Amino acid sequence: MKPRFSPLSRRHFLASTAASLATISLVPRHVLGGAGQTPPSETVGAALIGCGGRGPGTFSELKGLNPVQLARCDVKYLDRADNKTIYTDFRRVLERKDIDVVAIATPPHWHALISIAAMEAGKDVLCEKPMTRFIAEGRAVVDASRRYGRIFQIGTFGRFGASKDRNSILTRKIMKSGLLNPNPGVYIKAGGLKVKEWSGLVNAKPEPVPKNLDWDLYCGPSPLRPFHPHRFGGTHRGYWDYEGGGLCDMGQHAMDPVSWTYGKDDTAPVEIEAHAPPAHPEVCGMWGWVELKYADGFTIVLASGEWGDHYDRKTGRGVKLEDLDEAGRAKIQATPDPEPMIDFAEAVRTRKQPGGHAEAAHRTVCIIHLANLAIRTGRKLRFDPVKEQFIGDEEANRLVNQPMRAPWHI
Amino acid sequence: MATKPNVAELVSQMPEVDKPGTASKFTGPDPAAAAKIFAEIFAGGSESILQLIDLVKAPDDADFKDYKAAYVVHGLVLSAGVAGREKERRQLAGLLASRLSGEKSSAATKTYFIQELQACGGRDVVPALARALSDESLAEPATRALLSIRDGVGPELQRAFVTAKGRQRVGIVLALGQLAEPPALPVLRESLRDEDAAVRLAAAWSLAKMGDAASAEAILKLANGATGHERSQATHTCLLLAETLVAAGKTTEARQLLMRLRDSRQEESERFMRDAADRSLKALQPHGAA
Repeated sequence: MKPRFSPLSRRHFLASTAASLATISLVPRHVLGGAGQTPPSETVGAALIGCGGRGPGTFSELKGLNPVQLARCDVKYLDRADNKTIYTDFRRVLERKDIDVVAIATPPHWHALISIAAMEAGKDVLCEKPMTRFIAEGRAVVDASRRYGRIFQIGTFGRFGASKDRNSILTRKIMKSGLLNPNPGVYIKAGGLKVKEWSGLVNAKPEPVPKNLDWDLYCGPSPLRPFHPHRFGGTHRGYWDYEGGGLCDMGQHAMDPVSWTYGKDDTAPVEIEAHAPPAHPEVCGMWGWVELKYADGFTIVLASGEWGDHYDRKTGRGVKLEDLDEAGRAKIQATPDPEPMIDFAEAVRTRKQPGGHAEAAHRTVCIIHLANLAIRTGRKLRFDPVKEQFIGDEEANRLVNQPMRAPWHI
Repeated sequence: MATKPNVAELVSQMPEVDKPGTASKFTGPDPAAAAKIFAEIFAGGSESILQLIDLVKAPDDADFKDYKAAYVVHGLVLSAGVAGREKERRQLAGLLASRLSGEKSSAATKTYFIQELQACGGRDVVPALARALSDESLAEPATRALLSIRDGVGPELQRAFVTAKGRQRVGIVLALGQLAEPPALPVLRESLRDEDAAVRLAAAWSLAKMGDAASAEAILKLANGATGHERSQATHTCLLLAETLVAAGKTTEARQLLMRLRDSRQEESERFMRDAADRSLKALQPHGAA
């Protein structure tokens, strides 16, 4: 299939030649097709949805496509939206036929819904991490990507580095062989998860909504709470309504190479246990460690180093050729290396899935959601990776697929 | 007779925030100490639990003091959620539900109770939540709580739909689709002709989710007549309906719907929709004869 480079990029060029200087600020020099510049026929129409914080960085990940930023959308643009280049409502952006690719950098409670709507509108998606706010959202994104044949890439790239590392490749081959059962591997991620830094505030009294902010649309599928500035603009990370604390925000980064290296992109942990104080119903708070065990015995440990007892149940341990018998070692050595990963730009051009595709991203962020659900419920959980449901825990299952505020739904 | 616990004093044992007197972060109590407090309150029976519930104030209440009482209520909800504690869960949920009516708590505080019922409520609190559906300030969170509870909520949502207004009608229609109970089919089919476009779209999605073959024609007509974002959403409901029909073994109906959808998406800008329908058709016919 040929790359779907937008013929409307050219149309945009024609229109923009007569447009104002303000428009030119959104149209890079290369669109004009001057000497040494990429001609418009080789650009894609692109939009950035969610322009604060990570927005510009996420958009820059489209660089391999020569993106022309035709639209910027943010709920804080009430005072400047013109519905031509600047928007507050992503639905109006997705209606544009000259936009082929969207970069999504809103808070995570919008990631799944906008990704799905974008793919339903025929766009390819590069979405900032964490991919989702709860588990069922991820499955819905995977389904949309498959249903519409759209490209989805999560905005974290650790697995790309791992896929070029010889030790990681060897580990993946051993893990994927299924020869280690029980699997003695233990991966410990200690620290760096910004637990206190990205926890929320309690005792916060409501404040007036800023005039430039569409607070209702910001809350979107989540409960419509009274406004407080800490719930917005980066510090949203500290509230279950929008994200899942530092664990959710940093966790997908940390687990992205681990999920690939240890061959867990198509499954999920089956037993999850956390050491944490009772969770707050709305505010992400402190926790000590979480132990997540897969069906084959491989274990991931997330240790915050910021609260409670030091984790001392297991010691980190990789998997090695020496763990196998001679026949097993021979089998691994005869196993070809995995196919090289392709990045988002190449995926858009070739219509092959990129390294951080929807299923891989979903399974990776599931590790984090499961950890947070063990923290939130305060008890050991058992999970079915096929049904993506907890076994024998109704309260936990209610957090797997959380009803959204109408009209939003997955 | 055992002495009743001093609930207010137990609540006050929750740790102070980092910067007392301000909106602030908190470290949380020692889990064992917190569990002991939760157990003492449960041991005090309904009287103690109600004392605790009545200490809860939402941050936008004028007499809001701090996070502690609401946090302890949530702690009770979590501890009652453990397997084997069904009696405590029912007791706690029933007491929370009892405070949804009356003037003792503000709407914001009642919303907090509904949030907790969304976590711990069962069939026994459905009537109380159903009454909240008629209160404009509580209807939306009550709909979500009922959807989480699921058991026995369909008839209540249908009853509430008759008098619901605006966005709440959309919420109920979507909830009925997620519950997927056949008795809701007539009201959902009727909603395909609602004067509110958002209700029509929600009804199409719900009927698609339920695999209602009888609505295929109407859903396709809705999709073909829609523009902009609504068109992509309505087209999605056609694909979703085809998937649920296939899952139900109604491949003939699914095939007809997909072929008509494919043939109606001839614009180049809708090629991806045509391709999606085509892929589904090919999946129905492994040799690609669609």
